[in-house]
Amino acid sequence: MAPDIFRSSTLPVLEQVVNFSQARHGVLAGNIANLDTPGYKTRDLSPELFQENLKQAIEDSRRPASAGQAGAASGGGGKDRFDSIAKVKDSLKSILRHDGVDVSLEHQIAEISKNHAQHNLAVNLMSTQFRQLRSAISERQV
Amino acid sequence: MFTAFDVSTSGLVAQRTRLNAISSNLANMSTTRNEYGEPEAYRPRYVTFQTDTGIETSGGGAGVRVASVDQSTEPPNMKYQPGHPDADQHGFVAYPAVDMTTEFVDALEATRAYEANIGVIEITKDLGAQTLRIIA
Repeated sequence: MAPDIFRSSTLPVLEQVVNFSQARHGVLAGNIANLDTPGYKTRDLSPELFQENLKQAIEDSRRPASAGQAGAASGGGGKDRFDSIAKVKDSLKSILRHDGVDVSLEHQIAEISKNHAQHNLAVNLMSTQFRQLRSAISERQV
Repeated sequence: MFTAFDVSTSGLVAQRTRLNAISSNLANMSTTRNEYGEPEAYRPRYVTFQTDTGIETSGGGAGVRVASVDQSTEPPNMKYQPGHPDADQHGFVAYPAVDMTTEFVDALEATRAYEANIGVIEITKDLGAQTLRIIA
């Protein structure tokens, strides 16, 4: 089945990483826009929580449903695996509000740059995987 | 994704408004008459920002807007100049309570904040371009 091609790779994981870094970019952009707002509390999405959820989801997807039934229920197993990765989305909503009024510009710029690099890394890995799929489909080296 | 542009733009607009107020304060730092030509010292304007939840990204990032532009309540600087046409009956002229150092530092800060928002817009553009690369 065609969708299984995508599910068996790391594409769902990378998709969640891209989703998360785009959501976090918006939050960090808001912090920089509110640099001089009195009483503004710095907001952030927790990368640690996201990574924890992602790790959990990857472990869940790697664990076979049951040793004996692994072969029998391969179609359903693939769907479960996809669902467990999709659960990570919850951590995109978990906003932390820091106490303390001051937004440190340097800190925010560093965070937004790190987030940027992480996003581009995930996108590059995805592009590479799609390129590999394309060479497999066309049966030649690209 | 594209709401991040609006968030950064709101920051640009707010900082530009602040810079306009600072320009006005510096331009009028020696103004001793109001707009009707009556002797009254110019009162410095200060811009206050407020978080704008009308512009909100999916992740919860919020924009900013100008809450108000208020006139300073600080008393004017009284200078003894009996020969001045705007001097009061005791010979004092009211000069605006504009502190040039404070205004310059504020202007620099507004400029840097403006630049930071420009930088974020550049990153947002790159995020979008990179995401579109997945298709190619």
